[in-house]
Amino acid sequence: MNLIVFALLALLAITAVAIAQLRELWAVIMFTGIYSFLSASWMIILDAPDVAFTEAAVGAGISTVLMLSTMALTGKAEDIPRKSSVVPLFVVIVTGATLVYGTLDMPHFGSPDAPVQVYPDPSFVERSEADMHGLPNVVTALLASYRGYDTLGETTVVLTAGIAVLLILRKNEDEQDDTAPLARNKSS
Amino acid sequence: MTLESVAGLYNYWVVIFLMMTGFYIVLARKNLIKSVIGLNIFQTSVFLLYITMGKVEGGTAPIVPPAIAAAQAHAAHGSDAGHAATPHVEGAHEVAHAALQHGGELASTTTEIIYSNPLPSVLMLTAIVVGIATTALALALVVRIREDYGTVDEERILELDRGE
Amino acid sequence: MIDAIFAHLPILLIVMPLVAAPCCVLTGNGRAAYALALVVSLLTFACSITLLEETLVHGVVRYELGDWSPPYGIEYRVDIFSGFVMSFVSGIGAIVLVYAPLSVRDEISESKHYLFYATYLLCMTGLLGMCVTGDLFNVFVFLEISSLSSYALISLGRTRRAPLAAFQYLILGSIGATFILIGIGLLYQMTGTLNMGDIAARVPHEHGPRTVLVAFAFLTVGLCVKMAVFPLHTWLPNAYTYAPSVVTCFIAATATKVSVYAFVRIIFEIITPGFAFDVLPLDTELMLFSLVGIFIASIAAIYQDNVKRLLAYSSVAQIGYMLLGISMATPTGLSAGIVHMFNHALIKGGLFMVAGCFALRLGSVQLSDWKGAGRTMPLTSLAWAIGGLGLIGVPLTAGFISKWLLLTSAFEAGRWPVAALMLLSSLLAVVYIWRVVETLFFAEPSEAAANATEAPLRMLIPTYVLIGATLVFGVWTSYSAGIARQAAIALLGGTP
Repeated sequence: MNLIVFALLALLAITAVAIAQLRELWAVIMFTGIYSFLSASWMIILDAPDVAFTEAAVGAGISTVLMLSTMALTGKAEDIPRKSSVVPLFVVIVTGATLVYGTLDMPHFGSPDAPVQVYPDPSFVERSEADMHGLPNVVTALLASYRGYDTLGETTVVLTAGIAVLLILRKNEDEQDDTAPLARNKSS
Repeated sequence: MTLESVAGLYNYWVVIFLMMTGFYIVLARKNLIKSVIGLNIFQTSVFLLYITMGKVEGGTAPIVPPAIAAAQAHAAHGSDAGHAATPHVEGAHEVAHAALQHGGELASTTTEIIYSNPLPSVLMLTAIVVGIATTALALALVVRIREDYGTVDEERILELDRGE
Repeated sequence: MIDAIFAHLPILLIVMPLVAAPCCVLTGNGRAAYALALVVSLLTFACSITLLEETLVHGVVRYELGDWSPPYGIEYRVDIFSGFVMSFVSGIGAIVLVYAPLSVRDEISESKHYLFYATYLLCMTGLLGMCVTGDLFNVFVFLEISSLSSYALISLGRTRRAPLAAFQYLILGSIGATFILIGIGLLYQMTGTLNMGDIAARVPHEHGPRTVLVAFAFLTVGLCVKMAVFPLHTWLPNAYTYAPSVVTCFIAATATKVSVYAFVRIIFEIITPGFAFDVLPLDTELMLFSLVGIFIASIAAIYQDNVKRLLAYSSVAQIGYMLLGISMATPTGLSAGIVHMFNHALIKGGLFMVAGCFALRLGSVQLSDWKGAGRTMPLTSLAWAIGGLGLIGVPLTAGFISKWLLLTSAFEAGRWPVAALMLLSSLLAVVYIWRVVETLFFAEPSEAAANATEAPLRMLIPTYVLIGATLVFGVWTSYSAGIARQAAIALLGGTP
């Protein structure tokens, strides 16, 4: 088990670095799909099959398709130019160091007396057995009932994105020469 | 820094490394699509952070085996209504009896199986959907920008804007 | 029946615009969608006012969604502070909608109108949801609803820079949201709960402060992006400049304020001022950043030739004043910060409406095209002058009330240099407001301005409602500064 986890973590790290380094957009998109797939695999090991399933479908599936179609729409992918990036690297290292500093007081991985595991008491699993009349999957119970309004919110986000994409991509029927307002609104 | 804490925390550190790689890709953006990809990696890694929190040693996915679940539902009903219920699920006879004997103390039967915390999973299901919605919107904007500027290279777009 | 509706007000407030949005899409017709959006936004405003009344009389209103009590379920919690913010957000949302149709017809193509109003309602849903919810993760969900819809709204601007501005905002905004998500996750990990009140009770200040500290840092940075605090404000000038006028009015008046609201909630209810200001030097840092931000943004505003961009930089500066008040952490200071959220929403909403009127009549928001417009569009120009006085903080305007409270709290805390710097910074506001006033009234009319006619009443009246409100609330303060003070005292743990 441990070996698998190590292998997965190493693969995840390698994939992420590869994505950062690669300059060919097509390859980057493929590696992003692989990254999502690897994350989904690790999620299975971390006892979250529902999330793994969704990540595999949405992350590795839908978003890869979306990116590929965007690439198709935006035409022949130009190779991404290489440029030195000291400032981003600095910001990232500082942020990462802050996060590592934050982990020092964290409950250890898998610790059964972590606050997350002991609170609330009775736990969601115990509560849902009484509340949900024998629904086996506690994640479903939480998603649909206890935190149903988050799910409504999530649906609203999808609705928003749908309307937004329509708004953005729909052609203005009275598409006049774009240069006129441009010239007028030109900033200094 | 003891070896024990390293063993207990290295998972988080790997996740942090992943998050920061994603963050770096966004910040060092040269190409609009690639910055969207960076955002994707960043968010996916945050999902991993949450899921890591929910895991418990020796635990299993928060799905109660259907037999036990059905039996317990019956037990709960039975004690509510004041009569003993007959479990329908064949394999669950034993467990159901145990549950009935314990009456309302359902907790005692579940302690045998340790479940990982379901809440992070639920939160991340929501976050995944939010993430894909953001990606879709961002890519729509990229398509639109490409139509207007003819390129998805950030530098060239800025040059075009300065040049007019 | 009435009682039944009353009991569900907190959720009605969210559900009404949320359900109306897909209905707007289904109508497929700009006019019908507009009518629906207007009615719903007015109803929402009525709901928020009723709720605010309720909290003033009976105290905190709690609403357990699906009857699951926290920490299992999500809880909506309305107190004076959230009631106050909700009221002005929904109020301005409604007034901007009254103002909208002519400007929208001018700037957005006909076929998109119904989608535009649907997105507008969704944006309002998100902002109100952030105010009403008592659950930290729910805040994130609503934040994303409001952000996604505002990216879409901003991208609707006429020029090709609008989608680019929206994209830049999207990238920065999503980084901010992800930081917030990390912060929420770390807090959850240390407490095992997502309910704000519950987190506050369980957050370990002695054990494991390092994780809490980092959680707090991430929440702060994430929200600072959303609030457009200097130096994380870079998305704001472009977004405000290239968005359609109506969108700028609404977003400038409400979106950043709601983020300030969330920030105040997190500092004062979850982290507690004791930890934030005594253990961490957050107050000095906030004060430093806000003062630097006020000066740099005000100076940048002076050099702008695009009026919307000028107002955008001024918004960055004004956020600085709000944070300055909050960083004082005294009842007076905090109430100054809170009341300035309200006053600035009125003033900036009004001024952007004026800019929208000029954009309609002159077809431009470049200062050079506004030359001499004061002669042909006197009422619109007068509105600018009055709003400008409010922005500067001249007595008898709402802006004066907030600046006065800020000064008082600076004196109370014995921070003379801060008070002096604040007065100095108001002079910068005089400069950039005066530049526009001078152009409007004392310059030779440009060709466009000479042929312009006064803005239509349909737009002038809502503009004057907001601009007039800055005068009303400059004199009569029991419903602005009075409520803000009660909210501040409650946040600081006292009884109002």
